[in-house]
Amino acid sequence: MNIKRLATWGDRNLKYLLLAPTIVLLLVLTVYPLFFAIIASFETFNIRTATYSFGGVSNFVNMFTDPFFWNAMKNTGIYTGVAVVVEFGLGLALALVLNERFAGRDVFRSLMLAPMMLPPIVVAVIFKIVFMQNFGISNWLLGLIGIHGMLWESASRTALFSLIIVDIWEWTPFMFLILLAGLQALPSDPYEAAIVDGAGPFQVFRHITFPLLTPSILIALLLRLMDTLRIFDLIFVMTGGGPANATETMSLYVYQTAFRFSNVGSATAMSFVLLIITVAIGNFFVSRLRAEEVFTQ
Amino acid sequence: MTGKILRYVFLILVMIVVVFPIIWLISTSIKNDVDIFAMPPILVPSHPTGKSYVGLVDNGLFAYLLNSSIVAVATCLVSIVIGTLAAYSLARFKLPGTWTSRISFWVLSTRMFPPIVTIIPLFQMLRVMGLVNTRLGLVITYTAFNLPFVVWMMRGFFAEIPRDIEEVAMVEGCTRMGAFLRTSLPLAVPGLAATAIFTLILSWNEFLFALIVTQTTQSATLPILVASRVGQYQILWGQMSAAGVIAMAPVLAFAFAVQRYLVRGMSFGAVKG
Repeated sequence: MNIKRLATWGDRNLKYLLLAPTIVLLLVLTVYPLFFAIIASFETFNIRTATYSFGGVSNFVNMFTDPFFWNAMKNTGIYTGVAVVVEFGLGLALALVLNERFAGRDVFRSLMLAPMMLPPIVVAVIFKIVFMQNFGISNWLLGLIGIHGMLWESASRTALFSLIIVDIWEWTPFMFLILLAGLQALPSDPYEAAIVDGAGPFQVFRHITFPLLTPSILIALLLRLMDTLRIFDLIFVMTGGGPANATETMSLYVYQTAFRFSNVGSATAMSFVLLIITVAIGNFFVSRLRAEEVFTQ
Repeated sequence: MTGKILRYVFLILVMIVVVFPIIWLISTSIKNDVDIFAMPPILVPSHPTGKSYVGLVDNGLFAYLLNSSIVAVATCLVSIVIGTLAAYSLARFKLPGTWTSRISFWVLSTRMFPPIVTIIPLFQMLRVMGLVNTRLGLVITYTAFNLPFVVWMMRGFFAEIPRDIEEVAMVEGCTRMGAFLRTSLPLAVPGLAATAIFTLILSWNEFLFALIVTQTTQSATLPILVASRVGQYQILWGQMSAAGVIAMAPVLAFAFAVQRYLVRGMSFGAVKG
């Protein structure tokens, strides 16, 4: 009798029971650490002596007067801005060119997915080899057109842009595939109407393709922005943030501060700035996506 | 006609840029030291050798492989089971008010946190629980970022399965849960398989958490071995490439297996592709 009662109770509350494990796990593994981090950012904690002391806003004051913090912000901004814009431009161009049936398209699409699926750490390794200074294939190729002795990721002047080139290699296929999927889902009627009305290819793109493609564009940009803002693996292996902090991004500087210099308070304070920027950008895009009625199902 | 030729020239150029670096990695992994530093660079090694791979085995390759496999499979199982149940609930039932959509977006938002924000407190939690340098510690952290992915992917797949079938099953005497297990779940198996493979890839590729949480050969995963070949003062080019090839091979195999769902997976189910 009791078991039967329990079973009907379970059936009636099934929707909550099914959700509970996920919600509990996410609360424990992401929300709790977040609150812990908020508290830690107001404390000075030494990981070696394992002692806390309340520090007020000192971590934040230190942060805003720390030139390395601003350096990391600048590097993250340049890296994210340049990489995402170039990847979007190239990805859109490729998608528009290849949005037609032609022999070998499926092979091409399959090959394009390789760079972004590789472990980022392997991408870093590949370009360590490609950029090898005296014996690398990239310098050999440049030598053919008379450019010698590029130092790529080993010189502070070119390091950040070398990393951006790698990011573009890795992630342009992502933009391409998302935008291509978006293009292929577009209805054909507006195009027929436009051709009847005598619209040119640029007008068709500007007034039909682009507005209809907006949801895919927003999703592609959102996901790439979230990922580049947190970039770590690639830089950690290729340059470790150097030379002379030229490639130190926010994630790297937070990592160094917490786990090399054992300054957890400062590290969490800085990680909050990264979090706030990410959440602000994320909210902007998600509200646009909701307006476009994506993510509703 | 010229347009067609131009397109193929363009395509072949793009393919070379995409594929060549990967082939270069494989080639470097079987080169001897003379060939690695040959100028001009050579693509096909003059004396192919497996000594970089042997060197990796001497450095505990199999231990790292085992750790990576156990962590990936365990994470996959846990997050698939837990996440699929939640996804089903969000796809089929209506919570009071706007809670269905609120919870969905909250779940998604946890995935958007930069990992560096949560890793510091999470590391201290794991230390208190004695889970630093254990595979279990990694499985727990990986489950946290795989769950939102599973929930969103599976939610989309369940939404595509008509409800009527379940209603028939319930008329036939199934409980609510029984109807799910006997009708919707089997129909969602292709989506479930694709989602599972994605979680395997995500866990296999992960580096930041592994770097912070695991330092010992009893717990560290393959990316840690790859990174350890790049020292501060010298780079073990051959071993680094060999480790890269080993880390890359299963991922590429899996990726081609799920390429039909790739766009969907990469966009959390938002773009059907």
